[in-house]
Amino acid sequence: MKKLILPLFIVFIGFTSCKKEKTTLYKIEAHQLKTDSTVIEKQSISNFIKPFKQKLNNELDAVLCTTSSDLTKKDGRLESSMGNLMADICYTQGNPVFKKQTGNVVDFVLLNHGGIRSAIPKGNITARNAFEVMPFENEMVIVELSGKKVNELLIYLTTEKKAHPIANITLQIKNNTYQNVTINDKPFDHTKNYFVLTSDYLQQGGDHMTFFKNPISIHKIDYKIRNALIDYFKNTTAITPNLDNRFSYAN
Amino acid sequence: MTTDLAMQTRRKFIKNAAATTAFIGLGGLTLPSFTTPKDKRITILHTNDVHSQIEPLPNNHYKYPGLGGFARRATQIDAIRKENANTLLLDAGDIFQGTPYFNYFGGELEFKLMSMLGYDLATLGNHDFDNGIGGFYKQLPNANFDFVSANYDFTNTILEGKVKPYKTFIKDGIKIGVFGLGVELEGLVTKTLYKETKYLDPIEITKDTVKQLKEVEKCDLIICLSHLGYNYRKHPDKVSDLILARNTKDIDLIIGGHSHTLLKKPTIEKNSIGENVLINQCGKSGVYMGQIDFYFSADGSKIANGKSIIV
Repeated sequence: MKKLILPLFIVFIGFTSCKKEKTTLYKIEAHQLKTDSTVIEKQSISNFIKPFKQKLNNELDAVLCTTSSDLTKKDGRLESSMGNLMADICYTQGNPVFKKQTGNVVDFVLLNHGGIRSAIPKGNITARNAFEVMPFENEMVIVELSGKKVNELLIYLTTEKKAHPIANITLQIKNNTYQNVTINDKPFDHTKNYFVLTSDYLQQGGDHMTFFKNPISIHKIDYKIRNALIDYFKNTTAITPNLDNRFSYAN
Repeated sequence: MTTDLAMQTRRKFIKNAAATTAFIGLGGLTLPSFTTPKDKRITILHTNDVHSQIEPLPNNHYKYPGLGGFARRATQIDAIRKENANTLLLDAGDIFQGTPYFNYFGGELEFKLMSMLGYDLATLGNHDFDNGIGGFYKQLPNANFDFVSANYDFTNTILEGKVKPYKTFIKDGIKIGVFGLGVELEGLVTKTLYKETKYLDPIEITKDTVKQLKEVEKCDLIICLSHLGYNYRKHPDKVSDLILARNTKDIDLIIGGHSHTLLKKPTIEKNSIGENVLINQCGKSGVYMGQIDFYFSADGSKIANGKSIIV
């Protein structure tokens, strides 16, 4: 590809421009054309789209598994059935990939409550549900955090008091401080580093999760959260939504 | 209709337009003085950030309920082409990603439909790398239009030689040069997707490319297809369409994308030598399509010193 244009070319203008019929731009008009329902669809185009639409709908609406009750993000105080499921799926699907690529294991998962974009009603679960719950293209990333940063993370959760999805970690809030933190079934150790699975969006400081910025290390596993959901649904027959008090108020 | 009458009608129209819309004259007289049978009109149609929006957006969409759709856009394009065959249809990138159509068909449908609608040229947006440059390359046989990018250097990648810096068209004797500009990929796209693609400084590349289009290719009209973004208020120094316009010359129109900006009317910005540049962008998802008509007089001497921009 030619990137450098030699200044030599200028020499030629004088010779060639007078040979060309002179045209002058004298007026410019602009309009923004709205593409709304008053515009009739061109039939040949609609017809062309139709089989793709059909095939897509068949894919999206194929039953992958079922849920025995509604999965929502609003059925608990500091946790939710949808959030627990989503974080658990990220752990179940992401951890083996991470382990295979690095030899390390994911210690726990933190996503954000706002990232759950839809509920899944009781009954059949399809890929369309996965697209609705997770319409974004975010990928799972594993960040290595110092105990000090994990402490900041725990303070964030305690201050926010939101049902941010978590997995493989339990904690309680008492008098605006956290307590009884277990990670991987072991008590939280301030001196230890932890591998935390989150989304690339949150790692970059989304939802003010600043503790994820500038970690000790970042590892991308090239695995989208939505694809993790779809893969999990495909390998499961029935989901029983559960609230297990992984994040709760003491008393 | 006699020439006089045609002239009169046009004058009246311009006058009316001037009363209600922005009317900007360059240097001296603002009224175009003559219309002759030799006058030429070039129509530019453009979209940006269509993001795999094959069908219209849902009726409960938070911002653009029920807008867009390829089948409707086809009707609009047909009507305009019927009225003026000297039309170019362009896209400023981010053709891919946004609906499951992309996830399931990998961009096949987007490129096939754009070909059917008669797109003439497009540039690459950051999301067009979402299946990697390999994924983009794989879909190229479905596109019967070309891609241009002057500031992505694809040397040593699968796209080497497939994407040219610019393309020229001749419509009714008017030569039109269109070049492409892409946004910085680092931090926006995973390196494993864009691989060895190099992002080059858009301003410097533009200066070289425009010089080539004007002095060597002798284009009458120079258009930039940009995926840089309209403007970055929080990062005013980050290169954008506004900055590009101010720091270069000889571009007539910048068709923007990336920032999903819906301009009510094109922005008129002064370039580095004080001439007007038009910048337009049409939101996203194909909710609007821009139409810019350029009128040329065949005989330069008849033109009052300047051009008028009616937006």
